[in-house]
Amino acid sequence: MEILRIENLKKTFGEATVLSDISLSVNSGEVVSVIGSSGSGKSTLLRCATMLEKVSGGSILYAGDVMCREENGKEIYSDKKTLAKIRSRFGLVFQNFNLFPHMTVLQNVTEAPIKVMKRNRAEVEAEAMELLEKMGLEYKMSEYPCRLSGGQQQRVSIARALISKPDILFFDEPTSALDPELTAGVLKIIKELAADNMTMVVVTHEMNFARDISNRIIFLDNGKIEAQGTPDDLFSNTSNGRLREFLSSFYG
Amino acid sequence: MSILTMWKLLLQGFEISVLIFVVTLVLSLPLGLGVALCRMSKNPVLRGITKVYISVMRGTPLMLQLLVVRFGPWFVFKMKLDDSYDIWAVLIAFVINYAAYFAEIYRSGIESVPKGQYEAAQILGFGRWRTFFAVIMPQVIKRVLPSVTNEIITLVKDTSLAYAIGLIEMFTRAKQIAAAETSMLPYLFAGILYYIFNYVVAFGMEKAEKAFGYYEIK
Amino acid sequence: MKKRNIKIICAIAAVVIMTLALVSCGGKKETFTVGFDSEFPPYGYIDENGEYTGFDIELAIEVAKRNDWEIKLKPIDWDTKDFQLSSGAIDCIWNGFTMNGREDSYTWSDAYVDNSQVVVVAASSGIKTLGDLAGKTVAVQTDSSAEAVLKNTDNEKMQALASSFAAIKDYGDYNTAFLALQSGAVDAVAMDIGVAKYQVSSRGNTYIILNEQLASEEYGIGFLLGNTALRDKVSKTVKEMMADGTFEKIADKYGLKDSIKLWK
Repeated sequence: MEILRIENLKKTFGEATVLSDISLSVNSGEVVSVIGSSGSGKSTLLRCATMLEKVSGGSILYAGDVMCREENGKEIYSDKKTLAKIRSRFGLVFQNFNLFPHMTVLQNVTEAPIKVMKRNRAEVEAEAMELLEKMGLEYKMSEYPCRLSGGQQQRVSIARALISKPDILFFDEPTSALDPELTAGVLKIIKELAADNMTMVVVTHEMNFARDISNRIIFLDNGKIEAQGTPDDLFSNTSNGRLREFLSSFYG
Repeated sequence: MSILTMWKLLLQGFEISVLIFVVTLVLSLPLGLGVALCRMSKNPVLRGITKVYISVMRGTPLMLQLLVVRFGPWFVFKMKLDDSYDIWAVLIAFVINYAAYFAEIYRSGIESVPKGQYEAAQILGFGRWRTFFAVIMPQVIKRVLPSVTNEIITLVKDTSLAYAIGLIEMFTRAKQIAAAETSMLPYLFAGILYYIFNYVVAFGMEKAEKAFGYYEIK
Repeated sequence: MKKRNIKIICAIAAVVIMTLALVSCGGKKETFTVGFDSEFPPYGYIDENGEYTGFDIELAIEVAKRNDWEIKLKPIDWDTKDFQLSSGAIDCIWNGFTMNGREDSYTWSDAYVDNSQVVVVAASSGIKTLGDLAGKTVAVQTDSSAEAVLKNTDNEKMQALASSFAAIKDYGDYNTAFLALQSGAVDAVAMDIGVAKYQVSSRGNTYIILNEQLASEEYGIGFLLGNTALRDKVSKTVKEMMADGTFEKIADKYGLKDSIKLWK
């Protein structure tokens, strides 16, 4: 089943075109990695898909529900209700975690389901504890984020994204802000999610990781999809010059 | 005049000082937040008006503002207001002046909250108000507490400006007693009272800062 | 029986009407708001109970009483006296208010106090004449008559005297000026004679007033320019108080008997 569909997406900042003619779709259970050099538009793509940025052209659909579409050259977003429904279907894990510093680990995870979704507190807290246990952080539930390492914070933010049971989870360079020794724990969690058939779109610089977990990899260059395919297609058999150049900068 | 009488008379003035202090604080703190939000509004007219308001309030002496509020109605509208208006004039002038200062403190606090906090809230489906009051404001309060403390201590001392329009607060009371008794003692007593007042304020603010000290903001 | 009833009813009606009349009169009672510097003994200051008192204050209260006005005593910041008067917040300035130099700025009553400007020095300072003040620092109250006299560029004698001083220093009130004198920050304080007498006597005669005076001047009651109606009413009452001795009695109470000017 198709979870996310993006058609002819375009994004400009003033004069500069950051994304153009992006079309892709993500099916249920798929793990898609987005790679590319800095400034290639990877993060912007994620931000457009999660409504943190307004798109300049094209359309985005979630399981058939239209988030935005282009009509007579004008971009039109759906009504608030539809957008709220769509928003409840995806989660986003930030590069900088963006945990709420004044809330405990548990509150960070439970705030949205209790206050926004109006769910039962005890139920939500039980689920949150289960998730934190999965993250190996149940013993930190009453701590504030400032007392956690970057890797621990990122795992809390994954739990925060997971508790609303999203259909699709986006990761925006989830390990870029971490010290190298802390990335492993986070990557392990994402791998476990992949094994559980979680639908995910991961923007990453970790090539080996992308290769390991992805069903499909998208290579963005200069705001365009330069190449896409299975990890093998892209890492072993590519004939694309830009991609080779990019990969060689990683593998020397 | 006995020492006891001096204290008694000073305390009458002290009541006025405390009244000005409390009313100003209770009204200008929330009003300042509203002003700060207007100052950061997307509406250019609203933004422009609040910008001018803040700049006038901060750019002119409070003493002058007191005189304008007290005597302005007569000079502009020929409204005769008797001395029962004095206390109102003082409160109005203090509240609008302090709201402007607090607004700028709030603004700097709000602007120092990282964009990522808004984005995380948006992704989690928080509405505008919930984002502001549940996510942003608690962090703003923690960030601005030290500046607010400074401002509040200044307010304690500023209450003596009420004399400009003939309202007898503690410092004026001290001057009156000193003049009648040709003695410096009332000033000493007033100084002690101001110090105790500020000590209590500083103590309270320290408690407040401690209450927000359970977490750190990077 | 019937007649008695009518009488009772008439009596009750009369009482009710009179009470109503009194109440309504009370409600309409005119107010008389006097602006004054509450730190200016013996003319206006605060007493043991926190009430305002002084020579001028008692005179004003008596005037209001005789006119059946409701008196309101409004301490003012001297710098804002004109705002207070022109905005109608006060009806007059009555508080050792020097007329000289301000003749055309207010509608004045006749002068009721003859007040001279004098110099106060420490008894131990050895200063005896105005000439001894050469090279000394002299304090004045900001915006006071003494300051005006010393800084009067039209008066050659005063100009010469003032330029012989090391400096003239301004203080907000006499209490601070005396603190400066006591601590040696200044050598002399120039001020109104009435105030000087009060200060010197209440400070236990460690200070003296120089015999040589700077200038002589007069106090009056100042009304808003053009408000002759109120001025005339007040003057009339003051004149009555002078005639029946009340005025002198009050002056005596505040040690000002030698300074007052009685109107004929």
